[in-house]
Amino acid sequence: MIIDQLIWIPILTGLFVLAIGEKRSNISYLLSLFISSALFFLSVYMYFIFDNSLSSFQFELKVPWIERFNINYHLGIDGISLPLIMLTAFLSPIVIYTAKTSPKNKMHQYIASFLILEGMMIGVFSSLDAFLFYVFWEAMLIPMFLIIGVWGGKNRIYATVKFFLYTFLGSVFMLIAIIYLYTKTGSYSITDFYTNSLSLNQQILIFLAFLFAFAVKIPMWPVHTWLPDAHVEAPTGGSVILAAILLKMGGYGFLRFSLPITPDASLTMAPIMIALSLIAIIYIGLVALAQTDMKKLIAYSSISHMGFVTLGCFVFFLQSSSLDLDTINLAISGAMIQMISHGLISAALFLSIGVMYDRLHTRNIDDYGGIVTVMPKFSVLMVFFALSNAALPGTSGFVGELTVILASFKVNIYIALLSALTLIIGAAYTLWMIKRVIFGAVINEKINSQEDMKLIEAIPLSLIALFILLLGVWPKLLTDTMNATILVLSNMVSG
Amino acid sequence: MNIELTQIIPELIIASAICLLILINSLIPSKKRYSGLIIGSLTMLSCAFVSFLFLLDPTNSFIFNDHYRIDHLAMGLKFVTYLGSLMIFIGTTTNKDNAKSELILLELFAILGVSILASANNMLTLYLGLETLTLSMYGLVASKRSSEIATESAMKFFILGAIASAIFLYGVSYIYGLYGTLFFGEFNDVTINNSIEMQLALAFIICGIAFKFGAVPFHSWVPDSYQGASTSSALFISTIPKIGAFALIYRLLFEAFIANVEFWSLLLLLLGLLSLIIGNLIAIAQDNLRRLLGYSAIGNIGFILIAFSIGTTEGVIASLVGLIIYFFNTAVAFMSLEVISSENRAVVSLSDIKDLNSSHPWISLIILFAMFSMVGIPPLIGFYAKWIVLSELINADMLIIALIGIIISVIAAFYYLRVVWYMYFEKNELPIMQGSSNILQKISLSIIGLMIVILGLYPSPIIDFCRFIISPFLLID
Repeated sequence: MIIDQLIWIPILTGLFVLAIGEKRSNISYLLSLFISSALFFLSVYMYFIFDNSLSSFQFELKVPWIERFNINYHLGIDGISLPLIMLTAFLSPIVIYTAKTSPKNKMHQYIASFLILEGMMIGVFSSLDAFLFYVFWEAMLIPMFLIIGVWGGKNRIYATVKFFLYTFLGSVFMLIAIIYLYTKTGSYSITDFYTNSLSLNQQILIFLAFLFAFAVKIPMWPVHTWLPDAHVEAPTGGSVILAAILLKMGGYGFLRFSLPITPDASLTMAPIMIALSLIAIIYIGLVALAQTDMKKLIAYSSISHMGFVTLGCFVFFLQSSSLDLDTINLAISGAMIQMISHGLISAALFLSIGVMYDRLHTRNIDDYGGIVTVMPKFSVLMVFFALSNAALPGTSGFVGELTVILASFKVNIYIALLSALTLIIGAAYTLWMIKRVIFGAVINEKINSQEDMKLIEAIPLSLIALFILLLGVWPKLLTDTMNATILVLSNMVSG
Repeated sequence: MNIELTQIIPELIIASAICLLILINSLIPSKKRYSGLIIGSLTMLSCAFVSFLFLLDPTNSFIFNDHYRIDHLAMGLKFVTYLGSLMIFIGTTTNKDNAKSELILLELFAILGVSILASANNMLTLYLGLETLTLSMYGLVASKRSSEIATESAMKFFILGAIASAIFLYGVSYIYGLYGTLFFGEFNDVTINNSIEMQLALAFIICGIAFKFGAVPFHSWVPDSYQGASTSSALFISTIPKIGAFALIYRLLFEAFIANVEFWSLLLLLLGLLSLIIGNLIAIAQDNLRRLLGYSAIGNIGFILIAFSIGTTEGVIASLVGLIIYFFNTAVAFMSLEVISSENRAVVSLSDIKDLNSSHPWISLIILFAMFSMVGIPPLIGFYAKWIVLSELINADMLIIALIGIIISVIAAFYYLRVVWYMYFEKNELPIMQGSSNILQKISLSIIGLMIVILGLYPSPIIDFCRFIISPFLLID
């Protein structure tokens, strides 16, 4: 089974790397790089054999696990999970690759954490049993806790404990909701949850419990405060995975759980969700403008961009008449594209900041300036990523935001106008950062002695840039896989 | 008569091992060091084997004029006790402790007490088992003769324990006064529902039980004795007596006084909630690892009592699952402390395990598993303890209790994380410590440590086992 391999091969490799120890770090590095790259190609292969026209789950695997409680080891993917799995499989080798460019102590443990994390993340995106989903979802906290705590910056312990407790608090409420759904349906299967008949009050309680978990993960204002801390303190690889994939799990959760299981509650709660999304988009965007630390700026920018995901998931509920299927499709596709695109862009930005940090050991914007004079090649890529972060047409960032804004236009012009403000705010904070970091006069003398990016650093950045462009000019690659699934989802939401 | 004796083979084996050990200890002092370990382990191994055979071919018989009962539950609990004790004997044996033989002797007495408790069908048999267990526990706590803390905590434990036993016995006397019998089976024939005397009697009895569990407000002996006792005794008194206590509440409350379920479930719920909240909150402030584990144990017992208080068979099963899983976590925690301690440098407080990951990566990983397991992160077994209790609570419409439970577990996560962060995140300037453990200890620690993960990936055996030993009584409902 192909998904099974995607989950367990990295985990087993990670355990193997742990077992052979610190002395053989080089072997483990090459082995992990090879395995994780091979897994990416496996996921590409899966993309090609995936049947776009089917709306049902594919590559399904169902084995009884805890029979007494009707829990199955049930995996399968559809159009929503496939792109996210590919994103995970694409970024994991890159993160492992960069472990070498900034040397770490206990590198084998660092690599092993990422490998194990990769398996678990793919597990989250492919679980069709809510119990299994929860197991992967929570298990991820362990490697992430260690990654931030062991290899993080000065204030890492505070950041990682805060990250852990925040997400743990959110997800235990989800556990309660899952158990509650089990008592109602007699099964932990997610698809069985879809066909429940809950009263509106029950739905709202379940919706809120799920919301707790997903809102913390995405994160939505006002439960976002763990993210800037975690991002700033995490090592580059940790920030990349955190921003690019862990945040997407919140959005995935909304699409997989909240919308289809509790459509009535989603309808009732939609105004609140939209308000929170708009606050995230505008207010957090303004907060980003005020940041002096590059990582923190990108962290706030992530929250702001994820606001588009939540907006896309809920905006269509506000239609005055009956729910129009096309609008729902458009909004949800927008949310999905935004997730993938943000995954690539934020990963690239954090990697770029990592490249600069490895040279100057500071993330403070004021310490930079005039990077372009000594690192021209690097600057090209950095500026490109910044522009895609500001949703420049032709990059994937533009497609996602535009789709969501379009869907909002169909619903309510004010929401559309407010959300479109991001085009200004986003451009402002990103480009202003670029102006201060890349361009201008060289103030910090250390910069003059730096060398330009080496080839080994350029490879991952260029790869990501390629994909950002590809999705920007040819989003059909992505939307074709999702369309059938999103159509089913829209029907569930509107019906 | 012969048939009756065959039913208690495990107890007979233990009793003869005790006699043998006393003889050996007094006659051949030079052999002291290993004789206890070898005899103890062999005894436990054979007892576990015998009780396993009984489990394969279960009976439900009353022997010795109905004073003694052999059924699924009795044999199941005995099996767990023997296997657990075997694990403790092998896992925590240290050569430095020259009183080891006496320790094993006391522990065998305690195990005998637990066996009697598990099979008791009469209040007096029950009390006999209880006191055999408790008296040997006093000795275990006091066993570090040279230590002031040990002596102090043993004294505290003894005084409080004696009072608790007296209260329990007082409750039993009420029961006798009300029913005119001490046999469990006969309590259900007469209906004395919820008269004030009955409630008083039950309350006294529950006080005694709560003391054995170490539930709040009868918990003050727990952290003290964990701190004072040697590691192996601390591990022993934190696990085996809890099985006895489980037998106690099961036999007394769930079987004998099921008619008063409303009253006792309320009391247990109260005790459970108090233990859960107070145990976990106080644990946050602890720097001493032993005391931290002590308060953590109180919190865990809270969860177990809450599950029991649901008052249904499913709740009891959840409670037993929680107990067995608690056993694993505690065993790993204490055994790893023993493994990384050395002759001249005992691991006492959090700062002693700073940067353990650099010197002992494998042991650190195992402690990490144990800690995250206690936090309740899947796929480690600790998660299933929390999940199954939450499931039964929600099933019984006790959503508020479930919510309190999970919020407390999130708060509790903090102090478990603290252990992990000292091991992994802190840097240590002091020289790397070397444990003085032997290979046997390391192997047994590794096995149990891996069990936390393996049983976490496939928890059905634990759940099915607990169902199996409790399910014959599904008919009572």
